Amino acid sequence: MNSASLIATLALVRDTFREAFARRIFWGFFVCSSLFLFALAFIFRIDFSAGPPMVHSFQGTLAVAIYYVGTALSVFASASLVSVMFEPGRIELLLSKPVSRTHLLLGRYLGNLAVVAANVIYLTGGAWLIFGLKTGVWGGGFLLSALCMIFVFAVLLAVIVLAAVVLDSAVVATMITFGILFAAAILAQRFSIERLLSSESSRQLVELLYYVLPKTSDISGIVWKLSVQEPVESWMPVWSSGLFGAAVLAAGIRHFQKRSF
Amino acid sequence: MSAYAIQTEGLTKVFRNQWAGAELRAVDDISLSVPAGTAFGLLGPNGAGKTTFVKLLLSCCIPTAGRAMIFGQDSSRPEARRPVGYLPENHRFPTYLTGHDMLDFYGALSGMDSAARRRRIPELLHLVGLEERAHHLRLSSYSKGMLQRVGLAQALMHSPKLLVLDEPSDGVDPVGRHHIRAVLQELGKQGVTVFLNSHLLAEVEQFCTSVAIIQKGRVALSGSVEELTRGSGYRVEAVDVPEQLATELRAGARSAAQINGSLELFFATREEANGAIDRLRAAGVAVESLGRTRSTLEDVFIRTVEQKAA
Repeated sequence: MNSASLIATLALVRDTFREAFARRIFWGFFVCSSLFLFALAFIFRIDFSAGPPMVHSFQGTLAVAIYYVGTALSVFASASLVSVMFEPGRIELLLSKPVSRTHLLLGRYLGNLAVVAANVIYLTGGAWLIFGLKTGVWGGGFLLSALCMIFVFAVLLAVIVLAAVVLDSAVVATMITFGILFAAAILAQRFSIERLLSSESSRQLVELLYYVLPKTSDISGIVWKLSVQEPVESWMPVWSSGLFGAAVLAAGIRHFQKRSF
Repeated sequence: MSAYAIQTEGLTKVFRNQWAGAELRAVDDISLSVPAGTAFGLLGPNGAGKTTFVKLLLSCCIPTAGRAMIFGQDSSRPEARRPVGYLPENHRFPTYLTGHDMLDFYGALSGMDSAARRRRIPELLHLVGLEERAHHLRLSSYSKGMLQRVGLAQALMHSPKLLVLDEPSDGVDPVGRHHIRAVLQELGKQGVTVFLNSHLLAEVEQFCTSVAIIQKGRVALSGSVEELTRGSGYRVEAVDVPEQLATELRAGARSAAQINGSLELFFATREEANGAIDRLRAAGVAVESLGRTRSTLEDVFIRTVEQKAA
């Protein structure tokens, strides 16, 4: 990447941050996270005389809660940050600059991801610090779970980007992303579902959907295991979700490259 | 570098509505060349395809056929757009930014480093006449005229060689318009090519050296403003013409006007005009002025649009 590209990338990321600040998205997250950390530090009585396992168990529960609530809030907040870029009168000026369309879209994507990552790191890092100071237990699993959260958001953000590029609507992009989250939660129970299906082809379809779509529910299990310091048996949910995210993001970029504004 | 700032070859854009089965040829096979260093005006009635042409030129819109080149490079290549400054029509600048920050953002997208941006921003904000206190106000509190000015500053941020302006005076008061014109004239002197898309024909006539009039997506007329507005007749003005001679000359002229003792005569041919001058001089009458008759760009525009519509 040459210096002009780097300057443009940083400008796009910084612009997304500024827009998140202006729309109070960043501050909304920040205030909620700060209130939670304040409660954790001064209101909740954290006295785990049972030792590290108890602390890790509490951290695991907390990490899964942050994973689900944080992901849902991030999807809500991010959909508008992506689609606003395609507003008439704004997109033309961006496209007239000596920056490729791929670069523009990825710059916005990275900026959006950075906004959410900053908040996730603040929240989980703050909680980890408070737990450590209060209990003396400093396991790093809880911090690693933050990476999983950011990763899942990156996958879902790819869906938001594709939906926003194709449909030009923040609302529809949000609906589609939540649809995928919902489908992933159902497909996580695929063995139970398959028992209810009579035909082999239906069962194969469920299997196919399970492997194709991101495995957000399964990853919540990994978040739990990382937090409670248990070994993760399979990283398949992570890498297959990553493949899905990469494919969807590539489709979004391809559509953006061919679109007339 | 190419001698042409802009070249298009068979540029065409067809919008299709697959549901309704309808199609619109917004830009239809336009081949246009704009020499570097000139001021070029693109004119046309509403919906003629002017803005679509500009969007195709800057690769905001993907052409159905043909191609556009900027200084000899295909405009779909990001690098080809580096020498371009653009002010879109109906722009929507990020209102959460201040004037200063907005220039900083677009300057960075043009590849300027932070030191160059820091130097250039105050210089440009002063150039377009934005007061100091406005520099750090959010764009949401700017008036339409202020937004146009800061928009122009944005287009000039990286010292472009080609400036593409879509209705730059839209919403600007006459003083502001004069100011913008002065800025553009100064840029013209520095060799910057200005491509102006405007409804304000008087403005185009004052500033541009060449124009193209497009209608229904096609070039209906193009040429230098001088050529297009040059009339086909001659005008002779004289004062204190004896009544008898005035009557005779009026009879031979295409038209005539008497204003405060000055007689203006319009002749179709050079010979007729010279014959009138001979007679005036023979009678000892002083010729006040003479020259070719001129049409305004508005006359040319209306004539062209009406002819094509007919």
